[in-house]
Amino acid sequence: MTNTGLATPASLPTEVAALRPIRADLMERLRHEALTVPGNWVVEYGDYQNGGWHTLSLLNDTGNPRDVTIRDCPEPVATSLLTRMPAVRELLAELGLRCMWARLARLEAGAFLWEHRDYGELNDVERHRVHVPLVTNSSAYLILGGTKVHMSDGRVWRLTPTSPHGVCNRFGPARIHLVIDCYADDAFTALNASADSVADSVAALPTPAADELEEHVATASGLAQLGYDRAAETTLLELFYRYALPEGQVYDLIALMYAALHRDEDAERWRSKKAIMLGHA
Amino acid sequence: MSTLLDTVAAANLPHQFELLEKSVEVLSHSPAVQSLHVRGSLAAGTADRLSDLDFIVAVHDPSFASFIQVADALMTAELGAVLPGWRDTIVAQMGGLGYVYLVADGRKLYQVDLYIVPVSRLDTVLARTTAMPVYLADGATSRPHSHVDWVINSTLERPHTPSELLVEILVIGHMIRKRIARGQRFIAYAEMFALHTAVKNLIKAVLAPGSSFYGWYQLPEEVGSTPIGRQCLADLERLITGNAVPTGGDLAAALSTALTVAERAAPTILEPLRPAIDAYWHYLEFA
Repeated sequence: MTNTGLATPASLPTEVAALRPIRADLMERLRHEALTVPGNWVVEYGDYQNGGWHTLSLLNDTGNPRDVTIRDCPEPVATSLLTRMPAVRELLAELGLRCMWARLARLEAGAFLWEHRDYGELNDVERHRVHVPLVTNSSAYLILGGTKVHMSDGRVWRLTPTSPHGVCNRFGPARIHLVIDCYADDAFTALNASADSVADSVAALPTPAADELEEHVATASGLAQLGYDRAAETTLLELFYRYALPEGQVYDLIALMYAALHRDEDAERWRSKKAIMLGHA
Repeated sequence: MSTLLDTVAAANLPHQFELLEKSVEVLSHSPAVQSLHVRGSLAAGTADRLSDLDFIVAVHDPSFASFIQVADALMTAELGAVLPGWRDTIVAQMGGLGYVYLVADGRKLYQVDLYIVPVSRLDTVLARTTAMPVYLADGATSRPHSHVDWVINSTLERPHTPSELLVEILVIGHMIRKRIARGQRFIAYAEMFALHTAVKNLIKAVLAPGSSFYGWYQLPEEVGSTPIGRQCLADLERLITGNAVPTGGDLAAALSTALTVAERAAPTILEPLRPAIDAYWHYLEFA
């Protein structure tokens, strides 16, 4: 069968759920706040991204919006940013979740969060991640288990980030999400029970033919041979967003590319990075 | 005093200068790149906030073919090119290969032109255009490499594929948007004709790929014998009978018609580009 290289309709993986809608009037105010209030965004988790993922905290244990490295935080306080965002406060109150941390996450045009697992460094308690897309576009999507999910705005989404996943905003404009990490409680259970179907937002990625992968590796290898290492690595990391691939294969491809170029230290560096990104270290 | 003025000047630098710095940093990262020059309005001192970044990239002859092969991947991975490079058929033939990229940066889409030239021909190119160096590597010049001629000639002789013609339409649309914003009516007229020609070429490439007729000749005979061909020609007719000097509305309508033609005649080339085209529309509104 010919591989068209296109995604096909699919159902949501169990790690993602489209939950209750948000009132249109509140949604408009949320969007307005997201586009006008935040500034001085912070780039954190640099190893996990290509530089275009910025965050600011709304709820944390210091009240400082630029303190964005998440950790367990049973009794978070509002940051100075949240005090200037009444619509976000209204939504948080409506949801009534037992929050651990809440952030705004801004993904610029061309930005990628590479394939990874979250929560590995946190305590072993049940927690969940809730996304509220505030500003988005059709080229911004989440990849999980070979499935592409565009988190459309106007509703709340749940993500289980302990499975390997990645996020991109290929062409922009910037995507802004409210991201809430919360502990399990009745409010979360009720929210999670509001799951809805969103067929338009989900597509299965194609499985690559062997010669397609070889072609991509050849392009990346050509870039590396010319001295464009970062572009070579990016070219292979991006395959996670184009094809349904086994866990960690993009990291293996980079290590194999460097091994073929007799750059053993670089190959080893990427083997180690794979273990860190996927929580195997 | 001058420090204060410098601060004000720096704060008001056109956004392209950030992209210029980033592009120079990216492109010069390879030892295969001997030099980078800017040409066009940047070199002439007439740049404005809508100006392209127009580079001459001199690549050592033995690496020229490899560089051409990975240029799209490099521009996508490092500079966020929204579409594959369009092999520029407007730029003068100066001894290399020209590609046009649309790069999303901030809230705008910028045109970045790369004229990629083997080092052995750089002097010839510089003699034919006004250019300013922005990066010069240490080291010797290249000796001519016989493979370079073949790469350039075979690339220039190869007709554009339908997918490349669709990219051409979008790139020219972006150029026209800039002309309209500047009030450059004569150039807008000329580029609108180029857009119509690209749509005609797309129709021919898909529906009459073996055509031996030149340009606009024999279109009804070759294309118009089927319902889909007649629909495409009706769309083309609508395009060419629109305003000769386009407004923003005319341009949007023309691009919509061009995409309708592509969807009808070659949906498989349109589908993979849909997210990029969505973004393109967004940026065009902000241009």
